[in-house]
Amino acid sequence: MMLLNMSLQADQISEGYVILLTGLLIVFSALLILSLFFQFGLPLMLYVYRIITKGRDKKIKDIPMSADENFTGEVAAAISTAIHLYLNEQHDDENAVLTIKQARKLYSPWSSKIYGTHQKLK
Amino acid sequence: MDLKPIDTSLILAKKHKMKKILLIFGVLSLLIFIRPALGFSSDANPKDGITSVEAQPNVDQGEGVFTNAVHGIEQFYNYTGFANATWGHIIMILIGIVFIYLGIKFDYEPLLLIPIGIGVIIGNIPFVAGNQTGIYETGSVLNYLYFGVVKGVYPPLIFLGIGAMTDFSSLIANPKLMLLGAAAQIGVFGTFLGALYLGFSLPEAGAIGIIGGADGPTAIFLSSKLANGINILPDGTTVKNLIGPIAIAAYSYMALVPVIQPPIMRLLVNKEDRKIRMKPPRAVTQKEKMIFPVVALLLTTFISPSALPLLGMLFFGNLLKESGRTERLADTARTKLIDIVTILLGVTVGASTQADIFITKDSMMIFALGAISFVIATMGGLLFAKFMNLFLKGDNKINPLIGASGVSAVPDSARVVHAEALKSDPHNYLLMHAMAPNVSGVIGSAIAAGILLSFLA
Repeated sequence: MMLLNMSLQADQISEGYVILLTGLLIVFSALLILSLFFQFGLPLMLYVYRIITKGRDKKIKDIPMSADENFTGEVAAAISTAIHLYLNEQHDDENAVLTIKQARKLYSPWSSKIYGTHQKLK
Repeated sequence: MDLKPIDTSLILAKKHKMKKILLIFGVLSLLIFIRPALGFSSDANPKDGITSVEAQPNVDQGEGVFTNAVHGIEQFYNYTGFANATWGHIIMILIGIVFIYLGIKFDYEPLLLIPIGIGVIIGNIPFVAGNQTGIYETGSVLNYLYFGVVKGVYPPLIFLGIGAMTDFSSLIANPKLMLLGAAAQIGVFGTFLGALYLGFSLPEAGAIGIIGGADGPTAIFLSSKLANGINILPDGTTVKNLIGPIAIAAYSYMALVPVIQPPIMRLLVNKEDRKIRMKPPRAVTQKEKMIFPVVALLLTTFISPSALPLLGMLFFGNLLKESGRTERLADTARTKLIDIVTILLGVTVGASTQADIFITKDSMMIFALGAISFVIATMGGLLFAKFMNLFLKGDNKINPLIGASGVSAVPDSARVVHAEALKSDPHNYLLMHAMAPNVSGVIGSAIAAGILLSFLA
């Protein structure tokens, strides 16, 4: 029985190594394909899209290939943080003085009964 | 004398009344006696009841009430937590309190540790089984809430929220960092092998291994499919229910990322490398952001279809965020929905640690393996980042520290990397760069879960 258990465990471990290797390979290949797509495939697709949607008057060489190198994610982050802070700050500048407006309600059939009780009979 | 006639009339009236009373009494007594014969009887054994009351002498009645009261109190005591408490319960309750303390005092993932901590306490209040109280008793309220964990309902909903929160732009800007997320998955497979050597069966080892993915929902999802206490192994035995220990291990180590990772970073990355400044990532267009979830969904799920519930919801959530047209849905997914699911998930996972089921040798081994898996995953990411640096030149070199964020504890491990880099160079901000391997780690661990599921289910 113990021998059987040991052989079963040995089987399991050898299967475990198979899963280890294939699993790692698949994870790597999946993310590699994804990264290759975004490195090369997507820019190409966007370029093709630009060619398709370009106006008649434009020529292919007019279409800029690369994005603005100076405009980095950090610049975008700085701009969005500034906007976020500004919008947050706006709330603080709100006028804190509360005024209570006296509302004189016009006659309405919905409130006529209540309205009637407040009127003096003439 | 005019009083006499009045007297007679009074006597006559009295006699009449007496007759009436006697008649009514007679009819009533007749009814009582012949009641069983007429079939009016409402109680099953009225005679027994009457005799038992009659048989008890007046003196004994007082004593009987007293003994009954004592007996009642005794019985009540037997139902209380004080009578049923074991050391296991007390230890687990203390652990729950420690979780809450860690969450409040040190701010270690309080959104997880506080619900889990209170869940641990709820799950370990001692009770008498059979009253539909406990989380493992069919029909109890907690059992219904636990359904979402056992059937893997909650994890995809959490992933929907994560997708709606995550900004993949740093990943799109620098796609090669995706490989770091893959490298950290060595923790999953390394732990899987370790669990096999410790004698766990293949599906159990797979579920334990995913702790190395450092992703709570993924760990719950996989363990609910592989180690749920229902599946039958090839040798005829039932697989163990390890959802509780695995979930607790995954979440507690995720909370402990700020403690586990920095020493490994300092050990494997020298001071010079820690100071490497990375080129700021380029700005990513909205079009790219919108294409990313669709393409990534197609590519990853075609490779690993078993991860569909997780990856499908992750990229769906991300498309809600990036499409620009479904802000309302994205907003619900990343705030209310994920909050509701986190509350239910945290408290039920916590409550699933009922002492008699939780405190076992297996749980202890799972905790040890979980710690090792985090270490292996971190090392895998760091070493692969160093390996990548061998092929990269000049500006393109990456700071090896960001390899550590390949474990998918979002965004904690990225924050830890950022803090660690600041210690060596106070002006080196790595957070944006570290987010790239961090989010690819989420994708990577979901793919790894899918692979394990397709091999072992």
